Amino acid sequence: MGLPLFRPTQDPGPSFLGLTEALGVTPAWGPPASDAPHATTVIAVRYTQGVVMAGDRQASGAYIASRDVKKIGAADRYTALAISGSAARGIELLKFAQLSFEHYEKMTDTALSLEGKANYLSPIIQRNNLSSPLPVLPLLAGYDPTQRVGRIFEYDGAGGCYERNDFATIGSGSPFAEGALRLGFRADLELEAGLELAALALYEAGDNDPSTGGPDFVRGIFPMMVVLDAAGFRELAADEVGERFRRINERRAESRGVAGGALR
Amino acid sequence: MSNYFYVSPEQLIKDRAEFAQKGIARGRSIVASLYDVGVVMVAENPSASLNKVSEIYDRIAFAGAGKYNEYDRLREAGVRWADSMGFTYARNDVDARALANYYAQHLGDLFTEGQKPLEVEVLVAQLGSDLRPTKLFRILYEGTIADEPRFSVIGGDAEVIRERFAQAVPEVVDLATTLRQAVTALAGPQRSIPISDLEVGILEDRGERRTFTRLSADRIAELLGEG
Repeated sequence: MGLPLFRPTQDPGPSFLGLTEALGVTPAWGPPASDAPHATTVIAVRYTQGVVMAGDRQASGAYIASRDVKKIGAADRYTALAISGSAARGIELLKFAQLSFEHYEKMTDTALSLEGKANYLSPIIQRNNLSSPLPVLPLLAGYDPTQRVGRIFEYDGAGGCYERNDFATIGSGSPFAEGALRLGFRADLELEAGLELAALALYEAGDNDPSTGGPDFVRGIFPMMVVLDAAGFRELAADEVGERFRRINERRAESRGVAGGALR
Repeated sequence: MSNYFYVSPEQLIKDRAEFAQKGIARGRSIVASLYDVGVVMVAENPSASLNKVSEIYDRIAFAGAGKYNEYDRLREAGVRWADSMGFTYARNDVDARALANYYAQHLGDLFTEGQKPLEVEVLVAQLGSDLRPTKLFRILYEGTIADEPRFSVIGGDAEVIRERFAQAVPEVVDLATTLRQAVTALAGPQRSIPISDLEVGILEDRGERRTFTRLSADRIAELLGEG
């Protein structure tokens, strides 16, 4: 690859998408093979200091393709991107987003705003999904250092970007997760309550949706849980997450598999 | 009908070199040096927003002296090259030596074939890892590339500053000492440079993927012992 120099009239600016197009190395956004593995349930919940996220670890097509996929990635220090839909496209999108945000920052010496990051992904999602039987649907969540709040952006199949002020879910298990979140969400959730609600909602999704992986006590693989606050992106340790799901599991065993008339 | 006069190649090269040197001499110089755990780049730059020292990639930094619009274009090309390489292959495959060679080729081509040579000198610094060593590459306006072992100076007064810095810092020392001596070498015996006119960038491992940091005025003052 040579030195990418452009005339001012043809310069792609700080957009990494523009650069890959100018250089001809754009990923082949288009229809994936129909049996390609696809990823499943991810949840983001706003709490008073930021956002908590939880995602299952399973990728499945006709059978389980992988049990330890990480569907939530740090797009930069304050931003997380979660993926559902085609795993191949989703992971590519995550890598592309990470690179794009960092590229913008290095080119302009300023960080892209959270809203700017959310909008940047719209045309990429649109381009993929309008030509694809297995679309990719990401979820962008982050801590906005200028407004000092957590913010969540979700997308529709055509790339439309919508900000949510409570919670958002993506993937095949989202109807079940959404039910739990609707009952449990409050505007004044603190961190611990937010984590517990997200874990419960994911547990429901794993319980009812065949493509969503629940906590795997046999292999010691547990859902991924992430906190985004003023200190940035941090993933909770597997032990901590495992312990939380073990407690939920014990409560469910006591009530023989039903929530028992309350979120617990 | 216009008349063409014969100009010898020697004269042509000499004229072009003089032109480029004059342009570069109008700008301030930059000192880059290894210190015990990293690489520091020190520039005298009265502008707070038109940077001379910048991040290229995880372990690669750039410094440019001379005409801002010309070296900033090279910086942009460097960021683009590195990000595209890392995207196509892997982050570990992005090597400063390859980038320095491209800069050298580009500057060399423009020096002989361009309408005018670029009035810039650039530095590419790489913080070492298990894969490759810590390196400083200096590329001059006519494409000369030098791989400097411990420190490097670019810009108008490079020779004088190089001499001063070499005497003051004979071996690799800590950041504070290196920075203090770099600032003293840049200023010379007759004057001192206010902290607001200093731009300092470092490459140092902090347990993260990215290693570049531009030091704040407070941090610079603290290191210079004026905080």
